[in-house]
Amino acid sequence: MSAAETGSNPNETKRMLVDARGSWCPGPLMELVRVIQEEPVGTEFELLSSDEGSRKDVPMWLEKAKHQLIEVRAESGYDRYVIRKTH
Amino acid sequence: MTKRVVVLGGGIGGTTVANRIRKAVESEVASGQVQIQLVDREGVHAYQPGYLMVVFEKMRPEETRRDESALLHRSIQLVKGEVEKVDPAAHKVFLKGGKEIGYDVLVIASGSVIHPELTPGFVEGANSFYDLANAQKLRAALHAFQGGKIVISVAGMPYKCPVAPLEVTFMLDDFLRNRGIRDKSEIHYTYPIPKVFGIDTVAQPMQRLMGERGVNIHVPFNVEKIDPAGKTLKSVEGDTLPYDLLIAIPPHRGADFVGASGLGDKGNWIPTDKFSLRAEGKDDIFVVGDATNIPISKAGSTADYEAEVVTQNVAALVRGEAATARYEGRVYCWIMTGLAQATYIKFDYLHPPHPPTPSFAHYWNKVIYNRTYWDLTARALF
Repeated sequence: MSAAETGSNPNETKRMLVDARGSWCPGPLMELVRVIQEEPVGTEFELLSSDEGSRKDVPMWLEKAKHQLIEVRAESGYDRYVIRKTH
Repeated sequence: MTKRVVVLGGGIGGTTVANRIRKAVESEVASGQVQIQLVDREGVHAYQPGYLMVVFEKMRPEETRRDESALLHRSIQLVKGEVEKVDPAAHKVFLKGGKEIGYDVLVIASGSVIHPELTPGFVEGANSFYDLANAQKLRAALHAFQGGKIVISVAGMPYKCPVAPLEVTFMLDDFLRNRGIRDKSEIHYTYPIPKVFGIDTVAQPMQRLMGERGVNIHVPFNVEKIDPAGKTLKSVEGDTLPYDLLIAIPPHRGADFVGASGLGDKGNWIPTDKFSLRAEGKDDIFVVGDATNIPISKAGSTADYEAEVVTQNVAALVRGEAATARYEGRVYCWIMTGLAQATYIKFDYLHPPHPPTPSFAHYWNKVIYNRTYWDLTARALF
């Protein structure tokens, strides 16, 4: 599954899982950019990426695109990014 | 009772999976225990990787098309018609015009559909090479080009053949040099993320190559709209780029019937298990190629490797066995780095690509594949 609603969180904000582990082409950030364009403002995204380059690219793009990086957590063999669409 | 296998789509994925399933259950097909049908709107098979080759006159337009009936094994029935809807509960496919087709196992290989109208100004202002007519138009536009600023851009995601923007950039550079107008021309490459491709192992060598070729890079750049009158391209990041000639990748969506059937997400891509290639929640529906929502390349190579897995799983199901074959994310794509040189990317879910140094030999392998595609992949003869 590449993108799925993960259900409600404590704040009832819509949260989507973007499982981009193993996505080398076009790549995890391309997946994030795609789904963020499709969803309404306020949506949160959990991006899972096994690409080490995401550690640099994801924060850089979020800063340029002015969306919020809420959390980055290292998991076993991949990283989890929690992001909020702000505009 | 005869088991009915129905394949939707006569592109790379649908054609090769139908022919492979036929081979896998050859005796059952011969004895009438299994019937295979393939539904295609036009009955014409398009070799879409050939369109970029047409732009630069490496292939003739007629070399990209063949009658689907000439590619399918004679025991596979070709049904010409447009799918209106699939009813998974009733195990039926409904075609426009009223025809119904029942199935026991369904393979959806309906690909992706280009939607240039989703980007304001695209239809009037951009050139593209994602269908044959526009590839031929772009070829003519490049021949008329006498110098100026060419912008290459991605106008929507996802798009098929993720390496295509790189390829057209490098081929264009060679084309302009060969015509003696490179010094009167600028090439500007834009990409939606902060580098020229999705991952570093590919982006870094490609960016180096762009530097050597004098290509200007603008990243990240997500196209908001095109102004055909003012000849400018505006990004959601707030940047504006003027152009004399714009080559852009149009937005893509899954097939309309996917949405009408309640099988797709917002873009009409079908949520698909990345290993079994089953449509999520549907034991008897498999998905091949661009139609899935799996976050890997929408490319013919992906469909080809996926078809191997789906063939094994469909053959198992019609025999009453467990469908256990797994797709491990294998993809192999060439990247043209000029008019007569190429590299390639080969990867799976666990192993990222490491493209080798571009060479004539890799390019020649691609040429050979283009020539042998019809037998090797579509007819699945080997």
